[in-house]
Amino acid sequence: MKQVIALHINGEIHEVAVRPHDTLLHVLREELGLIGTKKGCDAGGCGCCTVLLEGKAVYSCMVFVMAAQNRKITTIEGLQENGRLDPLQEAFMQAGAVQCGYCTCGMIMSAKSFLSHQPDPSEQEIREGIAGNLCRCTGYQKIVDAIKMAAANKQTAPRM
Amino acid sequence: MALAAVQEYFQPGSPGEAVQLLSKYQDRAIVLAGGTFVHGLAARGLLPRVGAFIDLQRAGLTFIKPQPEGLTIGATTTFTDLAASEIVRMNPALGAVRDALRYPPPQICNMATVGGCIASATPLFDLPVAVMALDGRVKAQGPQGTREIGLHTFYLDYFEHVLQRTELLTEILIPKLPSKSASAFLKLETNANDLALLNVAVRITLDDKGVCTEARVVVGGGIGKVPVRAVSCEDVLKGRQPSAARIRESGNVVAFDIHPVSDHRTSAKYRSTVAKVFVRRALERALARLGVALQEAR
Repeated sequence: MKQVIALHINGEIHEVAVRPHDTLLHVLREELGLIGTKKGCDAGGCGCCTVLLEGKAVYSCMVFVMAAQNRKITTIEGLQENGRLDPLQEAFMQAGAVQCGYCTCGMIMSAKSFLSHQPDPSEQEIREGIAGNLCRCTGYQKIVDAIKMAAANKQTAPRM
Repeated sequence: MALAAVQEYFQPGSPGEAVQLLSKYQDRAIVLAGGTFVHGLAARGLLPRVGAFIDLQRAGLTFIKPQPEGLTIGATTTFTDLAASEIVRMNPALGAVRDALRYPPPQICNMATVGGCIASATPLFDLPVAVMALDGRVKAQGPQGTREIGLHTFYLDYFEHVLQRTELLTEILIPKLPSKSASAFLKLETNANDLALLNVAVRITLDDKGVCTEARVVVGGGIGKVPVRAVSCEDVLKGRQPSAARIRESGNVVAFDIHPVSDHRTSAKYRSTVAKVFVRRALERALARLGVALQEAR
């Protein structure tokens, strides 16, 4: 039986009818139309469903939606501010870090998570930070370059 | 989907409330801590009767308490929080815990919990092997009260432990070790998000003269239904000063204690070979944490 719960997603409250065994990934995509979060393995192995829960990267395919109540959820759709893309999104485009694109949103969300507490990561730290995200196209180098670029841009960006 | 039968979702406000729910639902409920392995259990057909989730996130079991007698960790403490705690980062005796928490990817570390990892009773997991090498215990709460169980006697079989259906694992206790103690953990995996093909945790205690007074060697991951304590490896070390030859010998005798399996992931022979090397390397790492660098005999 479905019940209505409230989810705090990208700064907005969404009321949605869910089943107790629904995953956050299922509800984001199928109930709320937030399809930037991708469904890959659906078993916590590929990382393309990564979202932030209270600012920390998690596999949304492993989070039961009921457990996500009263916690801040951020998806790729929530990164842009006032129509401006996040520096990570810009850097992924500039570095050509996207081929098929299926892993991209998860990669960016993982990077967003670790850059919040490691603003100036080494290459090794970047690779460890995206260790839970698979890419089968790029060989990872341009993804690592993009995250480096985003970290550098953020370091030098004027404070507003 | 195996979990489609789940109709109820509870978030008890205390361990006592959770125990009441377990008493009512028994094997028709499963406890959720981080929830990262629930789909894994369901996919293996292990949750056929489950109709309710008991989510512990509001049960007040998220804490890390360094105490004179040892470290107490609440069951719902995440890997990320435990890895970030000062005692785990700094104390050489807890090196095995620190090492074990470095393997899973960030998304798992941010969700998976210490209690969930131990209560899943999966011989392929890392943290139970590390905690066993430290003589860790678990605390369980049931309708009749609480009890403590050493992790060495906690596991019975794949996905089976000694807790009753009505008991809840609430805390993990790691006793304080003597001052010159260190531990280390190593895992063989094929990628960053893999279950162990083999894992090894060791801990060693030295006296003031550098003689080994106590040692633990525990091996898990594809060597049987539960992690195994390799007493032969420990006996080679105890009462003697560690040397390069001694720890190589300790690794070499691991074959007396473990019976690796062959499966689609790797062969028993490969697991045996790696076990020898990993016992030696884990001992080297633990000794390095005590400032002991081993010289090869010439």
